[in-house]
Amino acid sequence: MRSPFAYTPRPGVLQSASPGAAVAYLGALAAVAFFYSNPVVIAAVGAAAALAGALAGAGAAVRVAARMGLVLAALIVAVNGLVVGRGETVLARLGEWPVFGRVDVTAEALAAGAAIGLRAAVAMIAFGVYSACVDPDRVLRALRPLAGRSALTATLISRLVPVAAADAARLRDAARLRGPAAAPLGRAPLARRLLAGSLDRAVDVAATLELRGYGGRVPSRRERQRSRFDARLYVAAATVLAVAIAGKALGADGFSAYPSLEVELASPTVAVTALVVLSGLVPWRGGPRA
Amino acid sequence: MAAAIALLACAIAAAGCGLGSGDEVGEVELTVTRDFGTERIVATVRDEVTESDTVMRVLDRNAEISTRYGGGFVQSIEGVAGGRSAGRPHDWFFYVNGLWSPVGAADYTLSGGEAIWWDHRDWAESMRVPALVGSWPQPFADGYEGGRHPTSVACRAAGSVCEVVRERLRSVGAVLVNGSPAEAIRVLVGPWRRIRGDAVAARIEAGPRESGVFAAFERHRDGFALWGLDEGGDRARRFGPDAGLVAAMRQGSSPPVWLVTGASSAGVRAARGLLDDASLRDRYAVAAEHGEETALPVR
Repeated sequence: MRSPFAYTPRPGVLQSASPGAAVAYLGALAAVAFFYSNPVVIAAVGAAAALAGALAGAGAAVRVAARMGLVLAALIVAVNGLVVGRGETVLARLGEWPVFGRVDVTAEALAAGAAIGLRAAVAMIAFGVYSACVDPDRVLRALRPLAGRSALTATLISRLVPVAAADAARLRDAARLRGPAAAPLGRAPLARRLLAGSLDRAVDVAATLELRGYGGRVPSRRERQRSRFDARLYVAAATVLAVAIAGKALGADGFSAYPSLEVELASPTVAVTALVVLSGLVPWRGGPRA
Repeated sequence: MAAAIALLACAIAAAGCGLGSGDEVGEVELTVTRDFGTERIVATVRDEVTESDTVMRVLDRNAEISTRYGGGFVQSIEGVAGGRSAGRPHDWFFYVNGLWSPVGAADYTLSGGEAIWWDHRDWAESMRVPALVGSWPQPFADGYEGGRHPTSVACRAAGSVCEVVRERLRSVGAVLVNGSPAEAIRVLVGPWRRIRGDAVAARIEAGPRESGVFAAFERHRDGFALWGLDEGGDRARRFGPDAGLVAAMRQGSSPPVWLVTGASSAGVRAARGLLDDASLRDRYAVAAEHGEETALPVR
């Protein structure tokens, strides 16, 4: 079974663009999610990343990343609710706990946890779209002139994720083939087996990359072809960042969870939110696909 | 099963668990000032608190505030923000029953009856002022840090002077004890030359950075002269031989020590007259001479 995060060549804008342009576009969205604390803007970044992923044909990656992100967000909400007792609105008093001390669950702590969790979920969606839409080989080729070893390491990691997912699927299939009477294969033994084989697999992947010529000469400028979508993505990235910075200066990032919840929804916030959501349409090709 | 649920419910209730903010436990008094208590930012209010209330929650209910560092640090109250002013650091500090809190406002749980005082002040010379007199009659009336404490008066002055001090303390609800039990709030009554041997009181001679008291005693002929210091710790006003001083101090987590003292016996008599709400309210320490009161630090 192929991982939804594995890169799949498609004639989409993100897949066709040069890796620098795609990374700039998705990176700009992720950067806004980290620059801003206002959950309205962060949610807008999530919507834009999801829209971009869907338009690029990576809907499955968006769905899986969103599901994983929501689980992580729920965990963050629970932990923040138990660890942080600040905030005006006490929902429950859970008494004295070892290590934590006195535990008061407040609405503000849950909201603050939700804002942090939302950011994590949005970052996961953006990375999911990147992983599914940007060819890691081209990323490596683009980075090799700058930092060859780092590029190789990064590509190894990005390539190992789908390899590990495929290994996991194979191991699960093999376990099922033992028959219905066999004990089910738990996640821990599966993870142990994957971890044990990860070094071998890394060597395999590195050897494969080497055979494909990654250790060879640096491609010339002519060989590094530009796409007709590059300008669009670079302009979108620059616009999103510029509007985010201007919005921040104009107070669009008003959010405080403690001691009481305050979310800024004035016109700068609305403007930044609208533009960020619209930026999700950038990968739209505007017509029937080839 | 029902018995187990009932047992669990009892255990939860006994552990102080429950939904919502909990039962009301009493009233607290909130005072918000700036510049060592010289200007009120918010009129003093009394607020009913519940068992989950903290100093921060009471402040947030009664004033417009902003916080930093995950809600643990008060940055501004009613628009008066911490930061640098005229090159000197200013920030918000809070005291409960006249004592610097060992924990942050968001973690300070209230039990009812406390006097909370927030003050926005210059802290270049002395960031830590461990105790002050401005929440009188606290901590004598209701104790501090969640517990009631007895008061012992160490008399180094004429018996009549000490008796007046004892009477003032009794009238506000202090429980006076003989001797110096370890948990007792101590009140040292006497001229400076007689009480300066006390380990806590002697810290005044190291300056406000050490003692938190903006006053100094200077050797003068065969006695001492009282100086009032400004917020920078510099000598700002020299009082005469009949000047008295009421100040509060604290060393570590030991009980606070109040000084009712003066440059001379006449000064002690002047100081004993300061033990009332009108003289001490919203002040870090007070000096008096010939009926004229001076809040310390001198401004």
